[in-house]
Amino acid sequence: MDGHRAASLAPPVARLIEAFRKLPGVGPKSAQRLAYHLIRMPRAEAESLAEAILAVKDRIVLCQVCQNITESTPCPICSDQSRDRTRICVVEEPLDSMAIERTRSYDGLYHVLHGVISPVNGIGADDLKVRELLERLRDESVTEVILATNPNLEGEATAMYLQRLLKPLGIAVSRLARGLSSGADLEYADESTLAHALQGRTRSADQDASQSL
Amino acid sequence: MVRMSDLGEADRLLVLLTPGRGLMRATARSARKPGSKLGGHLDLLCHVSISISTGRGLDTVSQADTLEGFRGLRDDLGRLSRGLYLAELAERFAVEEAASHGPFRLLVDTLRTLEKLPADAADSLLRWYELRMLGQHGFAPQLQRCVDCESALEQKDHVYSAARGGIVCPNCRTRGDDPLLPAPVTVIKILRFLGRATWPEAIGLKVGDDDRRMVERVLRSHLHYVLDRDVKSTGFLDEVRKRLGVAEAAPEGDPPGDGARTGPQG
Repeated sequence: MDGHRAASLAPPVARLIEAFRKLPGVGPKSAQRLAYHLIRMPRAEAESLAEAILAVKDRIVLCQVCQNITESTPCPICSDQSRDRTRICVVEEPLDSMAIERTRSYDGLYHVLHGVISPVNGIGADDLKVRELLERLRDESVTEVILATNPNLEGEATAMYLQRLLKPLGIAVSRLARGLSSGADLEYADESTLAHALQGRTRSADQDASQSL
Repeated sequence: MVRMSDLGEADRLLVLLTPGRGLMRATARSARKPGSKLGGHLDLLCHVSISISTGRGLDTVSQADTLEGFRGLRDDLGRLSRGLYLAELAERFAVEEAASHGPFRLLVDTLRTLEKLPADAADSLLRWYELRMLGQHGFAPQLQRCVDCESALEQKDHVYSAARGGIVCPNCRTRGDDPLLPAPVTVIKILRFLGRATWPEAIGLKVGDDDRRMVERVLRSHLHYVLDRDVKSTGFLDEVRKRLGVAEAAPEGDPPGDGARTGPQG
């Protein structure tokens, strides 16, 4: 915020705008809109918001097993004895594990790296929860690690790095399939996605059925 | 594409090296969504053709097509770490709104070469690229004469000063208190050769491990001084080589500057 505008604002408002500006994806205009929305908000709603922020800071911890954010450690997923404890799905962020949970197609455990190897930003494996993953794999009876990093270059670099680290442990390592998304148009697909889609092509169900008869 | 970060709910903030306008920043709206027409084309190290809409704020990518995806780099950790280093170096030297035809062509050609290069030649390619990049921006190290007194260098071991910008003769090395690195005659010859050779000529160069490490140390020291900062991706480059045993070992000693010896060398 420039000095002229800061000088014309009441200090608490300027402080609130500055606080919003630190949030990811919030620019100066959005920060002002959010601040003025809060000023007009009923006091009870504002207090509820403030309490929610403090509760997150006071009560949320990292699960000591999977490193996901949770209110109690181990987290509900790691504590659930009905889940398949031989498989661990490695994701970049807590939100990624929620996305996979929504599919209801996976009943194994997770491990959250809290980031991705980003060489140009100076973020290496030591900045992620990689050591915790390796310690976990030594103790637990895991037979498969699914690397579910994002399908971009930094996600690929992280997955390849982990593959090399896990190789000596003798655990099966798999990657999420890559290809065309539902509703996609071939005309607009990039060469990398199309190449992966071709490499990972599957037989049609009819053909499989006729061959099995 | 030399740098990329997430922006907002599903957008991407891109830093592109362009031939005509140098470094450019632009947003790609919804590029992180699975169904995005842009997302697959906009990734680090991709050589792309893009259309950009200019507005009051950041420029916005309206269309993108991949010209070269460099898949050979993406499927190999050693090549990938080197490719990212090349891209970061190009970005560090580039500025906005300044034509960058030479560095752009150099980066694309070098990535193309790296994609198919055997691992044992990859480090020579990096040194060749560093010298080319330094030369294109007017920061090539002085390797022919003493950088201080400009006297012709005798065919023997000398020292190297990043602060002074090249090889220093025995008479001049005590003049300053800047860090000096040993520069054996073989290392000087390798640097001179890589500085003048085309890549097809340089690919056949056979270098011993000690000389290779010293050449890398000298050039890293020079780059660190010229750029006044570390090239961040060297950390990943060294980590991949050391920890995972991809190709050869990383250069000995501490990072440039810290590990440099001070004063006259024997």
